Amino acid sequence: MSLADRPRHGYALLKDTEALSQGRVRLSTGTLFGALRRLLEDQWIERFEQEDTSRDKQAYRLTAMGRKQLELELDRMKQLTRAGTARLRASEV
Amino acid sequence: MNARRAYEILLRLYPRDYRARFSAEMTSAFEEAAAEHRQRGRGASVRFVAKELAGLLAGAAVEWMAKSVTDDTVRGRNLPDRQRMRPPGVSWEDHYGNPPLDVPEDVREAQRCVDASVAGMVRAIADHEFKKARFYSLAERKASERLRVLREKYELGE
Repeated sequence: MSLADRPRHGYALLKDTEALSQGRVRLSTGTLFGALRRLLEDQWIERFEQEDTSRDKQAYRLTAMGRKQLELELDRMKQLTRAGTARLRASEV
Repeated sequence: MNARRAYEILLRLYPRDYRARFSAEMTSAFEEAAAEHRQRGRGASVRFVAKELAGLLAGAAVEWMAKSVTDDTVRGRNLPDRQRMRPPGVSWEDHYGNPPLDVPEDVREAQRCVDASVAGMVRAIADHEFKKARFYSLAERKASERLRVLREKYELGE
């Protein structure tokens, strides 16, 4: 989800993940780059060449397939949230 | 031993192809995050480094597992197989990604000489300039021998 709005490199992804989760998720670099390797293999993200960055600050961005997967996952989470909310309301009645 | 050194040593536990692609990026991200944690105090910095090093140990185990179960064609989309020959005229960085941190500069230079010689030989053969091709062939042999000696000296694999 951190790549939904713009390409980011490793450290920016660590910071954004922490911010998105309001400090609850702090990924280690080992976890982050393992996830990036899997997403690259699945072709959900791709390397993004930026002229002003060095090779040790490789940026990544979502592919069209990755964006579609993200939309599907967000829809699934919305449905789950709706179902959970409906059950809570039903138990209150 | 400083934190960066410990980090680089533990990175060597990862599969070689993974390191070739990600080690420079991982080290860079680690250094930026470490600098930020140092500003938060010694306790935060120590906890961060401990978590990172533990994360590397776990990550290395996961990556070896992934390497053993992932089809080569899928893995090859993004992680280079450094055992396979690089096509002539294609730079190390373009073919394999970031150069490994643990390869000395003279080894990289020797590798560049081999690549340049092979590229020259291929071009010469394509242009039917066989005298030139023989020259490049000799140069490639010498460069390969130098590379082999350096690899032995630094105890690097093939």
